[in-house]
Amino acid sequence: MSGDRNRSGWLRGWRPAVSMAGRNLRRNRVRTLLAVLGVCIGVLAVAALGIFGNVLALGADDAIGDIGTQVVVSPNADAGVESLSEADVAAIRRAVGEPAVVPLYTDNAVVGSAGGQTFATVYGVEEPGLAFEAADGRLPERHRRGAIVGAGIAEDLGLDAGDTVEIAGRQIRVVAVLAESQTFSPVAPDDAVFLPESAFSADGYNQVLVVAESGEAARAAADGIREEVNAREERVDLFELAAVVDEINGFFDLLSTFLLGLGAISLVVAGVSILNVMLMSTVERRQEIGVMRAVGVTRRDVLRVLLAEAGLIGAAGAAAGTLLTVLLVAGFVISTPAVDADLVLDPTNGYYILLALVFGVGVGLVSGAYPAWKAANERPVEALRS
Amino acid sequence: MTYSVELRGVTKRYPGAGGEPVVALDAVDFAVEPGEFVAVVGPSGSGKSTLLNVLGLLDDPTEGQRLLGGVDVTSLSVAERTAARKESIGFVFQDFHLLPTLSAVENVALPTAFDPGDATDRAADLLDRFGLGDRLDHDPSELSGGQKQRVAIARALINEPAILLADEPTGNLDTETGKAILAEFERVRAEGVAVIAVTHDPLVEEYADRVVELTDGVLVGGVVDKGVDDTERDDTERDDTDGHRPATPSEER
Repeated sequence: MSGDRNRSGWLRGWRPAVSMAGRNLRRNRVRTLLAVLGVCIGVLAVAALGIFGNVLALGADDAIGDIGTQVVVSPNADAGVESLSEADVAAIRRAVGEPAVVPLYTDNAVVGSAGGQTFATVYGVEEPGLAFEAADGRLPERHRRGAIVGAGIAEDLGLDAGDTVEIAGRQIRVVAVLAESQTFSPVAPDDAVFLPESAFSADGYNQVLVVAESGEAARAAADGIREEVNAREERVDLFELAAVVDEINGFFDLLSTFLLGLGAISLVVAGVSILNVMLMSTVERRQEIGVMRAVGVTRRDVLRVLLAEAGLIGAAGAAAGTLLTVLLVAGFVISTPAVDADLVLDPTNGYYILLALVFGVGVGLVSGAYPAWKAANERPVEALRS
Repeated sequence: MTYSVELRGVTKRYPGAGGEPVVALDAVDFAVEPGEFVAVVGPSGSGKSTLLNVLGLLDDPTEGQRLLGGVDVTSLSVAERTAARKESIGFVFQDFHLLPTLSAVENVALPTAFDPGDATDRAADLLDRFGLGDRLDHDPSELSGGQKQRVAIARALINEPAILLADEPTGNLDTETGKAILAEFERVRAEGVAVIAVTHDPLVEEYADRVVELTDGVLVGGVVDKGVDDTERDDTERDDTDGHRPATPSEER
């Protein structure tokens, strides 16, 4: 008789088990509700902190953007190299291959207009279009005349394309204003002014900017420069941001794990409360369980009923916690304009919700397992003894 | 002739408080035929509950042999015992022991609740037979003591057992209701089910075909069949004047 049941009845057995479990949970509503609340809070903590960490990481990723796609090459002053020659630039170009190579002269100057004046970095650049984008005006293919102004300077001085700006005492027409930089770069184009190379009389470049498509390509370019340009002597220093990005990403991974860990603690507490509720409930119902066993209900089916109870608590708490998380996040996005909704709606956040949901049900089942096993395996003759 | 249930030289010892084992049953020989109603009487602590537990496969004998419908069931695994209980044994308790979360009809169907197929119709028929056709969906809390005990008897019969074991079935009932419940046992017995009731109630003894007495684990009058070695047979109880006992033990099983 039991062989038949083993095959076809496994799933079917859960239906009466869940039905009985539901009724048992309704017997002590307050206690059940409190256990559900515990799981709800645990799930909320895991989901919300998980999403919080993820949004932080995504936001940082967004803010530092292509930080890893640029390599800044500067002369190695320790080796007596004061500036980079055309030959150095050519060597760098050969070494990096694909990525754009933008040599820069660098100086500092007072920049002024009718709107005031400020101290700014002044770069000499021939092909600004390789590394920058214009918000106002157009970037010339070859920079021969006029000034290109960074977004920060343009805002401070109230400059638009076509205005005139005074740099180191000379009046120069603004040909373009750069778009606000999405990139964290040591070149800091927002607070710089770009002039044609002809404005500088130096005999070598102060730095060379290598702009790659991806962090991967930038790393490869940096390796190429190390191998080829620095092959015989350390002519150049490399400022490579990919490594910094790795560090930052590593930090955010750690932060996410830490936050998830915090959430997990509350979920563990919720698990203990389920354990407590289930233990109390099985002790109270000891005789009932004994009767079930006496009249021929198998240990497995008793186990099923009790596991279903714990699972239902976990599932109800997880569902409520998930809902609450969604509401909380939605409220957060609506009330805080500074938060980029795209970041919060990023599909990777769904993963944390799913994770919390699975954890919630899992915690229910795991903490219900011991009381259920204990109750199901008690000898009915002991349980019936009142 | 096969007994519904039979104990041969069954001894049950428990580890006692002072290291000395407590002998709850002492070499008990006991046999009940199909359709026989046996009352087990004896003072408290005489081992009546242990006897019932051993008969009902809730507890195993320390020594001796236990047969169910002629089949040796002395040492079964937990799962086998559970299956055998479900198949062959019905229990009726003093406190009824209905599950408060289940309706009357669900309580009756409880032993089969996890099986494929729906036993609700069978449970409803049984309740109807016990005059509770209009109480099917009542919770136990909405039933009187007599009604609860009827539900419990119906639950015990849902799997058409060979044996019905009753532990003080009238203990929590007034005399009238007790009589009504005993009349139900009478009907169950008439259908060929062996009924064994452990009791203090003289009323039960009136209805029983045979009364056996258990004193300090020693059973008197446990076996009546002449074919079986039965030195402790007690003829006066055997010849009890009630006429319920079938002239020929039924062989229908």
